[in-house]
Amino acid sequence: MRERTTVRTPLARGREHVVATVEEIPPGEHKVVPIGRWGVGVYNVDGRFYAIANYCPHEGGPLCSGRTHGVTVVDPEVPGGAAESRAGEFIYCPWHQWGFELATGTTAVKPEWSIRTYPVRVQGSDVIVTA
Amino acid sequence: MDSEGRPVIDASVHAFFASDRDLRDHLKEPFKSRGYPDVDVAWFAPPDGVRYAPGTQADSVIEQQAFGQPVTRMPGHPGSDPELVGRQLFEERGVDIAVLHPMSNAGILPDWHLSTAIFAAYNQMLVERWLDSGTYADRFRGTIRVNPNDIDGAVREIKRYSDHPRVVQIGLPMQTQSPYGRPHFRPLWRAAVEAGLPVAVHIEMGVGVTHPPTPSGITRTFSHLTAYQPMTFVWHLLNMIAEGVFEEFPELKIVWADGAADMLTPFIWRMDSFGRPHLEQTPWAPKIPSAYLADHVYFVHSSLDGPGADADFADDWLRMTGKEDHSMFGSSYPDWQMHSPDDLPRAWTPEQREKVLWRTAARLYGIELPLSAPAPIPVPASA
Amino acid sequence: MTIEMQRPKEASQEMTEVRVVDSDIHPTPKRGELTPFLPAKFRSLFENRATGAGSPVYYDAPDFAHSFAMRTDSFPSDGNFAGSDPDLMFRQVIMEAGCDLLILGPLNGGGQTDEEHHAVTQATNLWQDACWLDSEHNWHGRYRGSIVAAMEAPEAAAREIEHWAGHPMMSQVLIGAELRPAWGDPRYDPVWEAATRNGLPVACHLGRGQHNELPMSPVGFMTYNHDLMVSYSMLAANQVMSLIFDGVFDRFPDLQIVFIEHAFNWLLPLMWRMDAIHAKRGPENGLKRKPSEYVKDHIWCTTQPLDMPEDKLEFTRSLEWMEADKVLLFSSDYPHWTFDDPQWVRKHLPLHMQDKIMYQNALQVFKNLPETVPALPGQKRAQ
Ligand code: FES
Repeated sequence: MRERTTVRTPLARGREHVVATVEEIPPGEHKVVPIGRWGVGVYNVDGRFYAIANYCPHEGGPLCSGRTHGVTVVDPEVPGGAAESRAGEFIYCPWHQWGFELATGTTAVKPEWSIRTYPVRVQGSDVIVTA
Repeated sequence: MDSEGRPVIDASVHAFFASDRDLRDHLKEPFKSRGYPDVDVAWFAPPDGVRYAPGTQADSVIEQQAFGQPVTRMPGHPGSDPELVGRQLFEERGVDIAVLHPMSNAGILPDWHLSTAIFAAYNQMLVERWLDSGTYADRFRGTIRVNPNDIDGAVREIKRYSDHPRVVQIGLPMQTQSPYGRPHFRPLWRAAVEAGLPVAVHIEMGVGVTHPPTPSGITRTFSHLTAYQPMTFVWHLLNMIAEGVFEEFPELKIVWADGAADMLTPFIWRMDSFGRPHLEQTPWAPKIPSAYLADHVYFVHSSLDGPGADADFADDWLRMTGKEDHSMFGSSYPDWQMHSPDDLPRAWTPEQREKVLWRTAARLYGIELPLSAPAPIPVPASA
Repeated sequence: MTIEMQRPKEASQEMTEVRVVDSDIHPTPKRGELTPFLPAKFRSLFENRATGAGSPVYYDAPDFAHSFAMRTDSFPSDGNFAGSDPDLMFRQVIMEAGCDLLILGPLNGGGQTDEEHHAVTQATNLWQDACWLDSEHNWHGRYRGSIVAAMEAPEAAAREIEHWAGHPMMSQVLIGAELRPAWGDPRYDPVWEAATRNGLPVACHLGRGQHNELPMSPVGFMTYNHDLMVSYSMLAANQVMSLIFDGVFDRFPDLQIVFIEHAFNWLLPLMWRMDAIHAKRGPENGLKRKPSEYVKDHIWCTTQPLDMPEDKLEFTRSLEWMEADKVLLFSSDYPHWTFDDPQWVRKHLPLHMQDKIMYQNALQVFKNLPETVPALPGQKRAQ
């Protein structure tokens, strides 16, 4: 059953947190970890890790229950004239399908709006988020 | 000029043949003997019989025929005599320059060969009778009518007239089988851009092969149809934006000649709000839809437009979605809806009146004003 | 980590004021759930047609193959479609979003003939009664139903309305938007008659028709979901004009019409336009009042989609000019992907209009809505 989650006891701010092991988040997968009020989605895109707030600035949708995919670009060489670029690098909100770049939190829908992203690094087998 | 001394460009004056015989005199066989509808038909005509503004009938008396028999002797069709039209517009109504739009039924005929032939007759008449001869030739500018159901023929017709100094735009029918964003229309836009001419889209007269005028079929009253049909531009415009027409043709300028610019505001708000997630389906139109308006979209301001002459917020409304920079006064002479600069909302700022009465049209059509040398009108510094 | 799950609790004895009425929310049958309610002669026919049939979608919302035009977090875990689980709807819309009363608007499609259309409405009404409005699924008393009626068969629709009108949980009549001709045609009078006799408003929701009732525009079919959905408002604009100019509100002075999900900003310039043609041509068909007056007294629009320009002030002013507090009813459109959150909607409305639009108007318009309901501990309350 889909239920909206709120974080009861968030992790302390301004610190590094080991949020997962690398094996827990294989490429193309993500995990929502208890940072901030709504949690933070930690994503593995082809071995690169990103962390983004699980709250959509549009109407407050649960961003990280959306799907990741790329953006569409014009490609006159292919049938239909369009192709996907940068597959997996954007998270699309489950409510109104606004897409946000995982690396920067920016959206093409409303360029002046963006979502908080967090530095992530991998040390040994640990995924570490600074929040 | 208007009652306060501003120049006036009338961006919508309707030019007609004097009669069906007059049109046939401009056609060669086999087209001369074909059957096609008159521009004035009984279907959804005004219930009081008043189609045209009083006093606009031409002085010449013509014989109207139906099925080869004379049925009536009547004055020449309103809007058919350049001398009368010129006198009424320029001497009596204070217009400085008038942009003529030939009113035909040819754009909605099933036989596209016949359409193209009729349009060619209109264009020949327009140029010879209005733009190249007569007392007021230097005050008239013309619209070349082309057939969207014959793209090759339309492109040839645009090329034929594009160098004429008084031809200022291309004319297309509002009623089409498919919206103007569809790819088969692109050669038309290319030809217009290459000719350096804006394209005016106007409701075609008469009857022909059209879809019903509303998504729910025909109307039941004349009022309903008359108020609704000019809003048809909404579908064309939305489709052209989504199809990337303005991205492909950055120089293309479209004039929605039946007005209803008020609808631009809600529909472009909606298209912007609803639209961006759809970008994945339309990468050929990457900007927010409203970003395509400023350089591409114009409206004739007609008598049914705006919140009314007395609305105290009319200036604010005209500012929204940039309508003040997209709207051009057009009288629709000699239609019954004909209006004048005095009918425009009083709350408009002097700067807004300047733009609507002549500045926007002067820029779009390359018209130099003032014509003679009346004292220049002071314009606020922000203009 | 600790994550708090919000779960429904028992309704308490304490009463609380209704602060949000959601006038557009869509329950849908679980797989096979509707079939037993169909008239016997259609059960196997409909099932046979559905055998081996796939998705009929062709104007697709973004990422359709994954989203199905739904909020993707609204699919229940049992594998049924979004909107099929009364408990999940309760949790997401009432507990989490803070809507207090929900006017359910089932969209179960239609048939191929008038008789089939009617049969589907009959089944839909029985199904609502048994699977949503019953004491088990509506234990909280927050769901209200729609008497779904087939305008294709007005006499049968009127009988269906009479049949359900006494149901204590039915709050409106619900019809589809796309059928031709427009609502002003007298053939629909039995429906308006039955609705007004029973104090029920008639709500009109967009779906999809077939062929030229898709809807198709007067200039043919749009290309994308984007231009189609934005231009859907043109259909509603035409229905408003038809209802007014064809005298429906003169024939049925108590009739209230709710346009669901057709947007609403267009209503402001449409009122001006209707008043302008009325002023110029006078009343046709013996129309008794100025068109905009009928709008204020008889027409309602739901808030979703709430389309706004970049400059919020423009939106606010247009709501003021429109007197939007006399026109709008809050709606979420759950579980569709265009869902609007009530708190988000409220904050975009002018302060003095908020209560009227979020619930007070609805309490007037819809039948069988209480002003207070048993409180639900843990429910998000609108502020
Ligand atoms: S709430 Fe995320 S796109 Fe609207």
